[in-house]
Amino acid sequence: MNKNEIISVADLVKKSAQKFGGKTFLKELVKGEVSEKTFGEFYTDVRKIYGYIKDKYGGEKQVHTAVIGPSSYGWLVSWFGTVCGGSTAVPLDAQLSCEDICELLVRSDTDIFCYDPRYEKMIPAVKANCPNVKEYISFAELSELLEKNVPTDFPDVPADRLAAIVYTSGTTGKSKGVMLLNSNYIDNAMCQDNESTPDDTVLSVLPIHHIYCFTCDILLSLRYGSTLCFNDSMMHIPQNLKRFAPTIMLIVPMIAETMYKQIKAAAAARPEVPVAMIAQSVFGGRLKTIYSGGAYLRPELQKAYIEMGFNMAQGYGMTECSPRISTADPADKECAGDVGVIVNGCTVKTVDGEILVKSPSVMAGYYKDETETAEALTPDGWLRTGDLGYVDEKNRVFITGRKKNLIILSNGENVSPEELENKFAEYDVVGDVLVYSEDSVITAEFFPAAEAAKNLSEAEIEEKLLEAVDRVNKTVTSAKAIRRVLIRDSEFEKTTSKKIKRRQSVQGRRIR
Amino acid sequence: MLEKIKELICNYVEVNAEDITADSRFIEDLGFNSYDFISMLGDLEGEFGVTVDETEIADVHTVGEAVKYLSSLKERQ
Repeated sequence: MNKNEIISVADLVKKSAQKFGGKTFLKELVKGEVSEKTFGEFYTDVRKIYGYIKDKYGGEKQVHTAVIGPSSYGWLVSWFGTVCGGSTAVPLDAQLSCEDICELLVRSDTDIFCYDPRYEKMIPAVKANCPNVKEYISFAELSELLEKNVPTDFPDVPADRLAAIVYTSGTTGKSKGVMLLNSNYIDNAMCQDNESTPDDTVLSVLPIHHIYCFTCDILLSLRYGSTLCFNDSMMHIPQNLKRFAPTIMLIVPMIAETMYKQIKAAAAARPEVPVAMIAQSVFGGRLKTIYSGGAYLRPELQKAYIEMGFNMAQGYGMTECSPRISTADPADKECAGDVGVIVNGCTVKTVDGEILVKSPSVMAGYYKDETETAEALTPDGWLRTGDLGYVDEKNRVFITGRKKNLIILSNGENVSPEELENKFAEYDVVGDVLVYSEDSVITAEFFPAAEAAKNLSEAEIEEKLLEAVDRVNKTVTSAKAIRRVLIRDSEFEKTTSKKIKRRQSVQGRRIR
Repeated sequence: MLEKIKELICNYVEVNAEDITADSRFIEDLGFNSYDFISMLGDLEGEFGVTVDETEIADVHTVGEAVKYLSSLKERQ
């Protein structure tokens, strides 16, 4: 696909149909059966949705269409039908409460709300709270809508047209509406080369509203002509791996951990079979490359996958950068703890330890939030990522923590809590740990690992935790040492993406 | 059913099946991460020929609650 011909998302959809027309674009399970759509059929259906919106709201008006639900063809045609017509999509997290959905529909100035049928019972409450939403369309009504409308050719959508407002979930504070332009999505989807081929099959398991899934699973499948397969439920990943036999998969570290446990269990049951063979069987038989993102991937786990014969690569990005800032070279087997090499067209620098990014993928700002926008973007266009880290001589990015979590010591020195937290990864007794400053004292609050809770007495657990703290303290300057230690009985509260919420009440019992 | 669930649990965490009781909590006691739990529900669907409704599992925290939920599903389906 010629990069110079792709200015907008509409161009990408059109070119994909021209190049891969009769090939299967999407496979998904509908009522237990695999349903398929070609690139050509997708292009036709997206033009029908655009035609519907144009007829109803006028060609010139840019509407805001919110879309919610698990990954489905209905979700895709709603998003693309809006954006390819020059309007703006608002993809929402399928796990949001009714109250949060209403808040975001109001904040995003949504005109049309497209939803999976499972949200039907919420609709009366949404209607009562969102008087400005003009139209509600269930994905269940889409087939009728597609039958009644004829395809309408896309207008020329300018590169700087707002394509989507994507709300961040974040571990702290209120969600912000990231404004992504057509040029942002296109730059990020086109910045690398030779990532996949029309022979590849991608199993998409991550939430579709998430930018990492959207750009890397969906836009890259359109660009390269790969076949995209939707996982119908997180419960069914093993079954869908066998059903669709993917060659590429994007996951988060938690999924990598679970799959690894399953491989180990299967290998223990059949010690005569090589682990690599069992691993390949668990992953459907054809898997080559696994991309991990969204959270910290233990280098040991990455190495374990590589030893089983997979390309296991870790990338780094954020919604505000559409999302890729660095992407792993699957051929790099070093597992140096980096998050990949800076992508083409992106420039990274560090200021006071914080990573700043400049790239055509960087957002236009936060929707109707000039204060937050001014905090995130410098006047000369650098995005402050809020992440602390550095770039090595091979252009690899290393992340050491989050700036806003930094603990400023009385001597002016800074401590990154994540840097301390990651040091506990090697201790079996530790389940989760949160490091923070309380009354200017560096405090570590632990939730012990279940194995430890099962096999050790309370006193033994406390002893082992304190031993771990002592060892970690020996690796840092005395000013950065953990002086207060708490132990808790219940799990930490986590975000929908399973990251520990940093601002939560202290529940631990003090043991030092 | 309890015995089969215990067997499946051992595919996710290194515990002795005999140490698992109806009161064992998946996350706090057995060391499941949230995806382990979801994935095991998929195994249970296949094992018992039921369809788990993801909106109904928020109240399932212990092995005993899982047995109870699966039994109710079998009756309903």
